[in-house]
Amino acid sequence: MTPPGTGVATLEHQAPGRTDPDAVDATLAASGDAHAFERLYRTHLGRISGLARRMMGDEDTDDVIQDVFVRAWQKLATFRGESAFGTWLHRLAINVILGRRETLGIRRQRHLDGDTALEALPGRRTTPEISMDFETAIEQLPDGARQVFVLHDVEGYRHEEIAEMLGLATGTSKSQLHRARMALRRHLER
Amino acid sequence: MSDQWTGRLSEYLDGELSPEDRGALESHLRGCVACGAVLADLKRIVARARGLEDRLPERDLWPGIAARIGASSGETPAIDLARARARRRWSFSLPQLAAAAVALMTLSGATVWLLHPAPPAAVVAGPAAPASAGSGAPAIAVSSRRPGSADQSYAAAVSDLERVLEQGRGRLDSTTVRVIERNLATIDSAIAQAQRALAADSASVYLNSHLAETMQRKLDLLRQAAALVSSVS
Repeated sequence: MTPPGTGVATLEHQAPGRTDPDAVDATLAASGDAHAFERLYRTHLGRISGLARRMMGDEDTDDVIQDVFVRAWQKLATFRGESAFGTWLHRLAINVILGRRETLGIRRQRHLDGDTALEALPGRRTTPEISMDFETAIEQLPDGARQVFVLHDVEGYRHEEIAEMLGLATGTSKSQLHRARMALRRHLER
Repeated sequence: MSDQWTGRLSEYLDGELSPEDRGALESHLRGCVACGAVLADLKRIVARARGLEDRLPERDLWPGIAARIGASSGETPAIDLARARARRRWSFSLPQLAAAAVALMTLSGATVWLLHPAPPAAVVAGPAAPASAGSGAPAIAVSSRRPGSADQSYAAAVSDLERVLEQGRGRLDSTTVRVIERNLATIDSAIAQAQRALAADSASVYLNSHLAETMQRKLDLLRQAAALVSSVS
């Protein structure tokens, strides 16, 4: 897999000959060592938690995070070391999150109204709340635009990868991204 | 503000326009202040997205996970090695099988150590310089590490095992050697990291325990690698 196209360096794809710092623990965990797996959990919790919260909102997020790590434990034998463990875990997490979101689809219809939810938010604040304000604005994006924005601009995936994950055309991923950015711009300039 | 180019500013920002479109848009930007302002805002949004930090949960989720994977007691779960081998047998490529073999042997050593823990002394060392699996390698069980003869014994054991491995590496499969070396490099990195952290917080029980565990892992890996050398001699 090649690095993301936008230069967002949040994904660390395994380069040939590069040592994966998690290799030993991943191997031990795949052999049933729960302590090694706990170390992996603690190493990657922040990133997986951030991904889940941005993709899901706060609702059910803790459950989803637990599901991600339980699924990872169950799937460790399929980790072939072709990418870094963190990259493998991240892709697995996205699959779990997207699966959970499908089951929540009905509850989330309210976000499908486009930019109306974002319009209801208070305008931009000055620091130090600005980062959380930005997080809140992301959470209020329409579902499709939020998924693409998080995966592309926050997590660093390319449109081709996002299109494959979400079952979209690449052009749709691009248009959703632009839509998300413009919606955030309208919110943040207020 | 909106014109035919506004909708393509994200593609431009992401470097996804064709050279022709890129040139045309740049020409447009030179004369369109509004598009320039939108582009500047989009750049800020992308930069802010890239700068978002990880977000930890408000509570520790490990207990729930541990319960679901059968490790809720907080102790090392019973390991079904036969099942583990079978799982790997069907799931791993040849190079990974080599890694798995080493890891499983390491695990075996670690399991033996866990089943027969050393007394809770600072550092407990057995006879130095074991040259094959099953000989007495120092067991590291550190609650508060102090430099001393145990550390020296550990260093001597590691040194001897490294010599055995170096002398016998020509008899091992090159893939196995690479796996061993890669894992040793990872462990050495972890040891160095733990030592740096301990330099700042020498009283940390966790760090001391982590360092001891990592050192033990290195010893186990070296011991099993030496055993591999012996088995092909």
